[in-house]
Amino acid sequence: MTTVALLIAAQDPKVHLTSQTRILAAAIALAFMLMILELIRRDRLQERYSVVWFVAGLGMLAGAAFPGLLAGVADLMGVRDTNVALFSIILLLLLGLALNFSVIMSRQAAQITRLAQERALEKAREQAKSAENGGEPERERL
Amino acid sequence: MSTLVFIPAWNEADAVAAVIADVRERLPDADVLVIDDGSIDETAASAAGAGATVASLPFNQGLGAALQTGYLYALREGYDFCAHLDADGQHPPAEVARLLEHVRADRADLVIGSRYREPGADDGGADGVTGDDYKPTISRRIGTSVFRFFLTLATRQRFTDTTSGMRAANRRVMALFSENYSPDFAEIESLQLAVRQGLRVEEVPVRMLERVGGSSFLTPVRSAFFIFKGMIVLLVGQFRPRRAEPGKSGPLGKAGAER
Repeated sequence: MTTVALLIAAQDPKVHLTSQTRILAAAIALAFMLMILELIRRDRLQERYSVVWFVAGLGMLAGAAFPGLLAGVADLMGVRDTNVALFSIILLLLLGLALNFSVIMSRQAAQITRLAQERALEKAREQAKSAENGGEPERERL
Repeated sequence: MSTLVFIPAWNEADAVAAVIADVRERLPDADVLVIDDGSIDETAASAAGAGATVASLPFNQGLGAALQTGYLYALREGYDFCAHLDADGQHPPAEVARLLEHVRADRADLVIGSRYREPGADDGGADGVTGDDYKPTISRRIGTSVFRFFLTLATRQRFTDTTSGMRAANRRVMALFSENYSPDFAEIESLQLAVRQGLRVEEVPVRMLERVGGSSFLTPVRSAFFIFKGMIVLLVGQFRPRRAEPGKSGPLGKAGAER
């Protein structure tokens, strides 16, 4: 979806957005945010991971509503071509997002490991206890 | 003084029973725990049949997580000392007994069995160990010397066998390792961590044998990657904050704190 917006922007190097492209970009942004809401509603996406996507949707919407915004940002960056500014901003955002996911993934991997360990320990404790009580050591396998 | 000997095992059904039997003979007072790291063969049944308690991880987690499971069990069940050795028959339990003597005598908190360190005058090795002596491959040798150099640099303490999986430890080490233990780089990082925490780490020369079955996982490419990863781990480890109390931080945060 972002690509579509980019392609639209890329058609005019001076970002001289026609009202047609602006309406299209705004519609896409709105549809995107509705999709996020729907995913939350169906429990396919947790709220805490949705914030960043909402911010992205709002950014798209702002870009469509105020075409001067992008030009201003490009100016601030010292980039002559607004398209280059747009691409680099989006690239950096995606990079940051990917890194964020790796961090979340690492945390969850650590939690999964601990969960597995706790379960293994519980089983081992049970087995040790039943062996102490004179019973046959449990031979249950997974 | 209770002792736990734990053995991480991953698909070692053929070798593990003999190792357990040997441990029980050499260390009759110790309890034996096998950590079955998601094996798909009969490792768990074989270990239980040989009289060991078995902690089965539901899926393969890697050596670091398996060892941590052992330290966690030792800590929670209130053992005074623990030791671990490999399941493939490379580590003679008689040598493990010698490592345990060192921690029991409080000469060190963590004792590493080194296959490379030359025996001192009073440290001749255990009797009754039979089998072919361990002969490292070339890639293993290169890796060993690289790690030896960097770990010695990082800890300012001489280590010869940085990847040795034969160790003995007391409760201070259990508390540290049960919370802070990298699943990827268990052996090397743990040494750095222990030294940084101010624990007394000591190497003792031991005899290790050629493995009975299976082959080492190290190919030259993997070795290079292993070395590269290890150096990053050591570098990052140097800048990790020292932990005042084990369990207060780490990737698990509060969830990993002891109950």
